[in-house]
Amino acid sequence: MTTTTTTPRRRENNTGRRPVSITAVVDCVGALAAGNMQGHLYMYDTNKSAGSTGFGTEELQTRARKGDQLLWNALALECEAYVAIDGIEIDSSICVPERKVYPGTDVAYWIGTVKKDVANVTYRMKFKLGTRDEPIATTLSSSLVG
Amino acid sequence: MPQQLAIIVLVDVGSALESESLEGNTYLFDNMKLQGSTGQGTGELVTAINGSYWRDGSQASEQVLNWLPYSLGSIPPTVPRGYEADRARQSDEQALAALQDLASKSSVPGTDQSEQLSQVRKTVGARVKTTRRTSGRLSGQKILDVTGKVVTEDNTAAYTYPAPVITDIYGEAVDSKIMYPAEYGSPDLVTDGWYWSATVDTSRPGTYSYVMRIQLHKLVGLNGELRWEAVNLTCPSALKITSEPRRNAFTKAGMGMLPIPPGAGTRPGTP
Repeated sequence: MTTTTTTPRRRENNTGRRPVSITAVVDCVGALAAGNMQGHLYMYDTNKSAGSTGFGTEELQTRARKGDQLLWNALALECEAYVAIDGIEIDSSICVPERKVYPGTDVAYWIGTVKKDVANVTYRMKFKLGTRDEPIATTLSSSLVG
Repeated sequence: MPQQLAIIVLVDVGSALESESLEGNTYLFDNMKLQGSTGQGTGELVTAINGSYWRDGSQASEQVLNWLPYSLGSIPPTVPRGYEADRARQSDEQALAALQDLASKSSVPGTDQSEQLSQVRKTVGARVKTTRRTSGRLSGQKILDVTGKVVTEDNTAAYTYPAPVITDIYGEAVDSKIMYPAEYGSPDLVTDGWYWSATVDTSRPGTYSYVMRIQLHKLVGLNGELRWEAVNLTCPSALKITSEPRRNAFTKAGMGMLPIPPGAGTRPGTP
């Protein structure tokens, strides 16, 4: 009897793969009035076909695997309101999101590469809203799932 | 006087193109949760419109609605207007400078021109082919990736989708003359110069459905050329209209003179 071993195909080279975009839609006025994000944050990503869940809630579960590029940005419900991501706190052995700006603008996004496959890791986001100096952190956490 | 209401239509363009449907790939917001709207951030938004009427039953306030279509995961609408055109021009300038540099170095022996030329090619990026049929808002522009860099023909996988375009609003609410939608030109920075707006008749309470026809754009490579191909899809939503007597927002009582405390008109110190 012969045994055949199949090695799973691994895609080490991820050039040309579309980053997974994670968008936080923020009800800026609601969050500022309440002083917290609960009920005023809607999370989405572009990886639904791969199995992400929790769309439109504060507990988005983004399906991510090693080598994926993740790109976070924020959108205000009122187009006049100012919303920006101030920080993303996640286990640095899994991902180190970096703040960058779209070239030639001061509009920022956060980007990072998933360093290893994960079962489930939660992360916390902080937002700068309106003219408030202190950033507001999320109450509930979104996560990356394998 | 009610404010104008903005309805955000957030479309996961990539998924919608893949499944050729907006169902499950569209998220609607009107930010009127406290006023009774339901289904915020889902495809099942019902927009609450709280109208009011005068003592004789006639409409006291109409509501104005505006629709803002956004693409999920694309370059956000907050970048300056004409951003794609700006980026295209900047990359042209960079490529020209690189070419000039290359030309001045060409006499130096040992320089690898093909390598540098391929670098210039990367800087130039891919431009979308325009035909008479496809000329318009997206024509002649370059393709950008989701971080705002121009992409080349052989590396278009991470390109950013253009924002969806509403091309019509129709259905029950329009047929029964509850709302009168139309597309308007605008100097607004976030809507690319055009937006759909409607006035709503608040004198006939009820729930009325409507449908948005939305155009998405798919990047197609044909005979070595890249084109944006239009894909037309539809997305339903609804308005829930209520109406109550016009009242004073301060006193919660009927319309009339504001209650003025006795002596409010007199200056302090005067007899």
